[in-house]
Amino acid sequence: MTAHQRVLIIDDDLDFRVSMRSLLESSGYEVIEADSGAEGLKKVVENKPDLIFLDIMMENDTEGYSVSYSLRNREEYSDYRDIPIFMISSIEESPDERFAMADEAGLIQPDYYLTKPLDIPRLLELLKSAVPP
Amino acid sequence: MNEAPTVEPIVVIDDDYAMRFSCRKILLKAGYIVEDFEDGASGLEAIAALKPSLVLVDLKMPGMSGMEVIARLHEIDSRIICIVITGYATIDTAVEAMKSGAYDFLPKPFSPDELRIIVKRGLERRRLAMLAHRHELERELFRRRFVTFVSHQLQSPLVAVHQYLDVLKHLGDAPGAAAKREEWLERCLRRTEELQTLIRDWLTLSRIERDFLSLHRVPLDVCEIVRHVIQGVELLASGDEIRMEARLPEDPCIVTGDRECVTVLLENLVTNAIKYNRPGGSVTVSVERLNSELAIAVEDTGCGIPEESQPFLFEEFFRVKQDGARKTSGNGLGLAISKRIVSEMGGTIGVRSQPGAGATFTVLLPEYHQREATGTYEQDEDHSDR
Repeated sequence: MTAHQRVLIIDDDLDFRVSMRSLLESSGYEVIEADSGAEGLKKVVENKPDLIFLDIMMENDTEGYSVSYSLRNREEYSDYRDIPIFMISSIEESPDERFAMADEAGLIQPDYYLTKPLDIPRLLELLKSAVPP
Repeated sequence: MNEAPTVEPIVVIDDDYAMRFSCRKILLKAGYIVEDFEDGASGLEAIAALKPSLVLVDLKMPGMSGMEVIARLHEIDSRIICIVITGYATIDTAVEAMKSGAYDFLPKPFSPDELRIIVKRGLERRRLAMLAHRHELERELFRRRFVTFVSHQLQSPLVAVHQYLDVLKHLGDAPGAAAKREEWLERCLRRTEELQTLIRDWLTLSRIERDFLSLHRVPLDVCEIVRHVIQGVELLASGDEIRMEARLPEDPCIVTGDRECVTVLLENLVTNAIKYNRPGGSVTVSVERLNSELAIAVEDTGCGIPEESQPFLFEEFFRVKQDGARKTSGNGLGLAISKRIVSEMGGTIGVRSQPGAGATFTVLLPEYHQREATGTYEQDEDHSDR
């Protein structure tokens, strides 16, 4: 068997990270955490995760979008451009709004867009299709 | 003070060569960039490209009149300050010009000083107008974001609790789940408390506005409440090695209000001063008499508050975002509550701060004089229930 797939959780809510870590570990993933966008970018380079959970609204309203923009567009992160990102928000936004935000941030629509609280069976399905454990 | 701290472009439009020449000379010497034109049409053309801060325009010119220039000028940019140059005979027209948007008028003949002063005043007016405009824009942005903010604040604890319970359910009797259960339930409780505090604060806010204070208005000694509040935060302060100091007059300083509200007000200010301080710093609370008012100042030695955040500090849910500051808890309602309490008591609250050099919150409250009193002020009889 190969090594575990590695998931980086970028979220400023400690409790969200704690529960997600347990869920993901129990499903066979390795978990890394970051509590801010800047910390998250650092951990991407240090740990080269296979998948990223990215909270949109952290210290700044659209911090998550800045992070995904950096990962997708900036030269220094070109090695990490293809890592799938789950954009996560606690507020349901309409697809239009979402598109506008992503567009404003210079992104194409994020691959995955999830609303908290995450639906566990659906999340595990998505994970399996994005990065099989 | 430097007369022209930043280089501000000024346009002079006058058909009189001597007038243009002297205006130009005086203003160049004062440090401004000056362009001059002999008629309205060429002046306006240049204004559209130059976007000057201020325009001096003669009213009586052949071709396009000064009045027409003013009207067109404000179509180009309403923030350009326009000063009308006019002979005594046309003061009526100058008044007319001011009605249509000119900022001021300068009667001919004028001295270099008069010109410099009116220009400086006009530019100051523009600076203030632009500052107000910027604040208004930021405030509008904040208002538009308000619903998002509130939903996020209310959602976060709920989501955290939901996620814990859902994951616990999912894990079931898996190995290790039992150990987590205890710890997670504890965390869930803490998050529900956070939500309760948020809702309670929000209710306090609207209650103060409605009727709370008018119901419990009694004479109170501010100094005694200050001592009491400082006593109450001892543990919090010593945890961060913050030194607390009180500078209070010896005799009572009386205001009228609700004891609980005044305590909440001072507690908010003092706990903020501790939370946003640096370890090993200090907090000084002073009460002073200023004419018929009492000035209560709470001074800290923390990282300060950026100037651009200061106008919003007292808005609901506003929290200062600052790199390098310690992460602190809080729901962004404390200062909003404080401000409402102070306004209900007929006072004002303000802040002075230099980034990096701490902040001082000052509350001014009307002092209540004993001779107006029918009885004595309310003594604090019981400290133990706090």
